[in-house]
Amino acid sequence: MSLPVRVSEHPLNRHIYVVELEDGSSKLATLNMVPGKRVYGEKLYNIAGNEYREWVPYRSKLAAAILRGIRSVPLREGDKVLYLGAAAGTTVSHVSDVVGKSGRVYGVEFAPRVMRDFLLVVRDRSNVLPIFADARKPWEYAHLLELVDVLYVDVAQPEQASLTADNAHHFLKPGGKLFFAIKARSIDVTQEPTEVYKREIDTLKRGGFEIIDVVHLEPYDKDHAMVLAEYRG
Amino acid sequence: MGKLFLLHHVVGTFLLDERGEIVKGFLAVKDIDENVEQNLKLESGSDELPASLSRVFEELSADSTYVVETEQLARLLSRRGAAGVEVDRGAEPFRRFRERVADIAVELGFVRSREEYYEYMRAFLTELARRKLRAAARRRDLLAAQSIRAIDDLDKTFNLFATRLREWYGVHFPELDEHIPKHEQYIELVYELGHRENFTIEKLERLGVPRSKAEKIAEAARNSIGADLSDFDIEPIKVMAEIALTMYNLRQRLADYVEAVMREVAPNVTALVGGLLGARLISLAGSLEDLAKLPASTIQVLGAEKALFRALRTGTKPPKHGVIFQYPEIHRSPRWQRGKIARALAGKLSIAAKVDAFTGRLVGEKLVEDLKKRIEEIKRLYPKPPLKKEVAGPLPPKKEKEKKRETRRPRR
Ligand SMILES: C[S@@+](CC[C@H](N)C(=O)[O-])C[C@H]1O[C@@H](n2cnc3c(N)ncnc32)[C@H](O)[C@@H]1O
Repeated sequence: MSLPVRVSEHPLNRHIYVVELEDGSSKLATLNMVPGKRVYGEKLYNIAGNEYREWVPYRSKLAAAILRGIRSVPLREGDKVLYLGAAAGTTVSHVSDVVGKSGRVYGVEFAPRVMRDFLLVVRDRSNVLPIFADARKPWEYAHLLELVDVLYVDVAQPEQASLTADNAHHFLKPGGKLFFAIKARSIDVTQEPTEVYKREIDTLKRGGFEIIDVVHLEPYDKDHAMVLAEYRG
Repeated sequence: MGKLFLLHHVVGTFLLDERGEIVKGFLAVKDIDENVEQNLKLESGSDELPASLSRVFEELSADSTYVVETEQLARLLSRRGAAGVEVDRGAEPFRRFRERVADIAVELGFVRSREEYYEYMRAFLTELARRKLRAAARRRDLLAAQSIRAIDDLDKTFNLFATRLREWYGVHFPELDEHIPKHEQYIELVYELGHRENFTIEKLERLGVPRSKAEKIAEAARNSIGADLSDFDIEPIKVMAEIALTMYNLRQRLADYVEAVMREVAPNVTALVGGLLGARLISLAGSLEDLAKLPASTIQVLGAEKALFRALRTGTKPPKHGVIFQYPEIHRSPRWQRGKIARALAGKLSIAAKVDAFTGRLVGEKLVEDLKKRIEEIKRLYPKPPLKKEVAGPLPPKKEKEKKRETRRPRR
């Protein structure tokens, strides 16, 4: 393994880092909130007394979106994030690093098996809170939540855009930001990805979102795109 | 009185006006277990309501319209005689409340600080998720128990079929038997190749037999002393071979299935001994809850009941381990250490089963760690066999048990 030689902040976000390695390559990374702990087998780098966690773009669509040049990464220290489709917490863990100890990440997941793994991430990270519920029915977990600054949606469901609008209506602050991962193929196999994006994006617009940017995630993830939007309510 | 917005939250139940200001409110019980319990009951549609919600219901007035976010609250309100009830999800007063809920919880004295609010919510949500997971996993322990029994049935039947096929096909090609000790490989060759004339080096190699072995088998086929059989006679053998192979594949799939179900139902037991052995213990005890109620000493000898009763009857030594003998660290260790390791393992299993059945927390890692330490200690303290007692003691029941277990599984 090549050793880390230098670390710098990513131009788009103070709490996202680029670690340069001996061999000249570089990796996206976040400052590990729980030093010594890995979440999904990622590499840990020690530089000048700090531990950074490699953020693998093949495993996390947000990392892929950043490397593919998304226009901005509106996650600030202290932000409250509602994350739909937390799965085993791979991306959640990096979002948790970015928003830091004063931030909060509420992870919604409805599959029991992955929820169990997610609870292990919750156990180690004091800013991550689990919600075992169906993201299509935000009113069923409204009593567990507060308004949030950022909504992140990656549930790989056909009705993703409408459930996103619904969740925003319940929980997203005006001016709040949305990350929206579209898995084109799971929505409609017969149509070209661009058609699917268009229809999904229309639904988002009708739900009060203004699109800031869309990036396709290949080669890290085929047939996916990340949509960044702002909530106008 | 106009419109009132009724909002139930973890921290309490509130009536809000159109601007989202609290008109009336009652705090929830602070105790996390109790609060979780009350909210779960509300969710499940029980008649028993969270304390704060009941208090608000006592204050309903006939001339107000109540706005809520769930059909369930709407139903409860109507049942209590409220005249006007509306559902308006994400209405502004609800959003206003949620925007300030951490501060409200502090102002009303539910918690002392925003930090405490978040700590409370995290503990609450974790406990709620755990309790719901456990409810979701309920009775799936019985599926694990049934499938492990099905696996045992399949193993027995598969062995029976394999023995029969070896004898039957042996009429035609008796020499094959000793060349291929693994049942499933023997059966696959018979099924794929049929007549012994087809046992050529190339065909055997294509089916994964190493070159040197293929040469020997091909030669044995050429010089076989077996009877010549027609297609008509080979056909039924092949049909039976096909069914045996299907059974073998089903066994592998069931094993994967049991592992998956067990990770869900009993993650701590599974972390300790794996899904298959864990399911076998559940099956022997009856259910996860039954297993959880057994003392460690009983878990230690589960599956060795026959030997245990014989020991009680004849006064010989009781067995030191039942089915947990399958745990590698037990059967791989020298005899005199096995009983001690079995006792240590049974102790951990008893804790794991209780946690799996009653709280759903994840303590597997820690248990595995502790057990490892204890095993190392046993190995260090008892490196040599004790001189007289153990060696002179009667061992037969144990031997018999080990042999039996081996025949239960297919040879491979
Ligand atoms: C593609 S994975 C998310 C991966 C994750 N975002 C990451 O990068 O680590 C989609 C997840 O959404 C969950 N999911 C799908 N539909 C859901 C729903 N209606 N409510 C909650 N979770 C859902 C699935 O169980 C699955 O774990």
